Amino acid sequence: VNNEASLADGVSRRLDPRYISLQRKTGWIIAAVLASGSWMIALVGWLAEPSRGRLALSAAAWLIGNGLLMWHVHRWPPIEHRHTSYRLDDRVIEIHRGVYWRRVINVPRSRVQHTDVSQGPLERTHGLGTLVVYTAGTDHAKVELPGLAYETALAIREHLLTRGTSDAV
Amino acid sequence: MPSDIDDAGEQRLHPVSILFSFAGSLKKFALPGLLLLITGGGSMGGPDGRFGRLPPNIELWLMVLLIPAALIAVFQYLAFRLRYAGDELVIRSGFIFRNVRHVPYTRIQNLDAVQNIFHRLLGVTDVRVETGGGKEPEATISVLPMAAFHEMRRRVFERRVSAGLEGAVRLEPPFDFAQGGVGVSRTPDATGVAPNATAGAPARTLLHLDLRDLLLFGFLENRGLVVIGAVYGVLWEIGFLDGFWGGLFDEESYGRGIVRDVLTTLGNRRLLSLAQAGVLVSGVIGLLLFVRAVSMGWAVVRLFGFRLLRIGEDLRTDYGLLTKVSATIPLRRIQTITIREGPLFRLLKRVSVRVETAGGGGASQNSAAASGREWLAPLLRTAALPALVNEVLPELHLAGLQWQPATARAFRRAVKPRLAAAVGLSIGAAFVLRWWAAPLATCLIAWSVLAAWQYVRHLGWAETTEVIAFRSGWLWRSVTVARVAKIQSVALIETPFDRRAAMARVRVDTAGASERSHRVEIPYLPRDLAASLQLRLAAAAAATEFRW
Repeated sequence: VNNEASLADGVSRRLDPRYISLQRKTGWIIAAVLASGSWMIALVGWLAEPSRGRLALSAAAWLIGNGLLMWHVHRWPPIEHRHTSYRLDDRVIEIHRGVYWRRVINVPRSRVQHTDVSQGPLERTHGLGTLVVYTAGTDHAKVELPGLAYETALAIREHLLTRGTSDAV
Repeated sequence: MPSDIDDAGEQRLHPVSILFSFAGSLKKFALPGLLLLITGGGSMGGPDGRFGRLPPNIELWLMVLLIPAALIAVFQYLAFRLRYAGDELVIRSGFIFRNVRHVPYTRIQNLDAVQNIFHRLLGVTDVRVETGGGKEPEATISVLPMAAFHEMRRRVFERRVSAGLEGAVRLEPPFDFAQGGVGVSRTPDATGVAPNATAGAPARTLLHLDLRDLLLFGFLENRGLVVIGAVYGVLWEIGFLDGFWGGLFDEESYGRGIVRDVLTTLGNRRLLSLAQAGVLVSGVIGLLLFVRAVSMGWAVVRLFGFRLLRIGEDLRTDYGLLTKVSATIPLRRIQTITIREGPLFRLLKRVSVRVETAGGGGASQNSAAASGREWLAPLLRTAALPALVNEVLPELHLAGLQWQPATARAFRRAVKPRLAAAVGLSIGAAFVLRWWAAPLATCLIAWSVLAAWQYVRHLGWAETTEVIAFRSGWLWRSVTVARVAKIQSVALIETPFDRRAAMARVRVDTAGASERSHRVEIPYLPRDLAASLQLRLAAAAAATEFRW
């Protein structure tokens, strides 16, 4: 209960820093899949028409493409982390996200229809969870907030669902 | 209770749910294999098959895919748990990707039991928990014993009554098995107001459109191209048009070769002869008139005998020649109202009014009005608008709204994308038309500047304690008003261009809005103003309790 009270203080909070390493790992996995896929394509292309120039060209393209991807995968999560935050008070939950295209979504507590807290296998190893808030709206019918410490996600969920008599007009 | 409840008060599904889940996969995967087994027909693979390279009896091998499906069914069953917490339903699911869903009882709109013949034989049921909003049920519980469903229904509605929700909760009699096929038992909607609560009230006609109005509406609305496009598509499909284009472009056809002649003349950059130009102009005018005529026909068929009635606290619209629609719109379910007028509408002092309603449980019996946009008045005299608005949204005084214009800097923002498009088109045209593109480019650029200027001039928003209103459009103008009490969430969006100009847009999300509808989405607001507007709206919405 103490934890809950301290969460709803209207102060803007960052996501859990462990989310950076989680996102990097997810990125590595995707990058590895893409790298092996593109390697296969390059190999088949070379076998179809073997020549030294072609080999050099596709090897260079493969290296540069995947190098850039790896660099991005490593560099992007901390940038995104800096631009993502959430804020809770007794009335609304506010989520800031986006680096270039920024978006602030404000969901009143009294509009929360139901909530999910989910945890994938990677999230479990990092002690993280994803909070999903559902409203009856259309564009933002489902508002996700990933990268929370699992306990924090549970606490926010509790806070969102505990409704006092004040908001029952 | 037949289902086992463990120490934590958690309840599992009925074990036969493994069978039902597996049967679901069976339908997807194993049908070809079963067909092979039953009919004894030839395999698609093997030396005799249609796909000779595939191994023989490939259909049987495909059944190997069923093993993971079976495993998934077992794990789903093992992972699924249901718990009745103090005032919410807690559903735990997933083995690898775990999910815990909390659904407050007060949010549950419907609790549906869906049974097919196998469910009935085994005394179990699929349960769909709907809280509204989304198109799909919020939780599908497959399958629970019947007794557990009754238990769930009892608990959910007991809590709701004790939570002080008004209205008696009717528990419907058990299933109407006479329905045959799939039986659905539906509990009443959460607001507790029975749909027929106002049935006894007298009906008052607010608007009736006669044939003349409908023809006028069709003429003004100009849906002709849409209708023609649809008909054209159908005719194309059935190969009706093969001779048509041949007739237009064929070398041998003389009279109808006009299109070809004009195109070749233009292609060779020669001037049209007077006769050609005359035929071309009259052809274009004829086509435009034809399109309008089709639109009038569409309006008559679609909206024949349009009548808007007020019955107690509900509105009802009845219309249609072939498809008769009778839509009930409970006043309290109206989320937004949109008033639209085109250039010809303004000339004749007419407007067109639509509302958006939220579905929610009870409304789904009214098919058409279940969710989404509804005509309130396809065609209405502008003078009669305040009276209608007063009837529908008494808290809205259109004339009294304090419209805030867009900032002066908005024009520079709005003109840039339009100019870019105009320049792009002009460059493209220059490749084809050479120097003829110069006047075209001048027109395009002038038009884009004018359009941007007029667009910004007609932007506006207004805020009262009860509603938020937004207007936009130059030739076709729309005003949309959303009730603050119906706001679901408020978003502030900044593109990189917005940030450079220290601007933002504010989007108000409501239930029942569709892709095509005019929304309350205010662009080009100064950043600080946008942020404070967002906070104000969210706080105002938070202070009200959302009721369907």
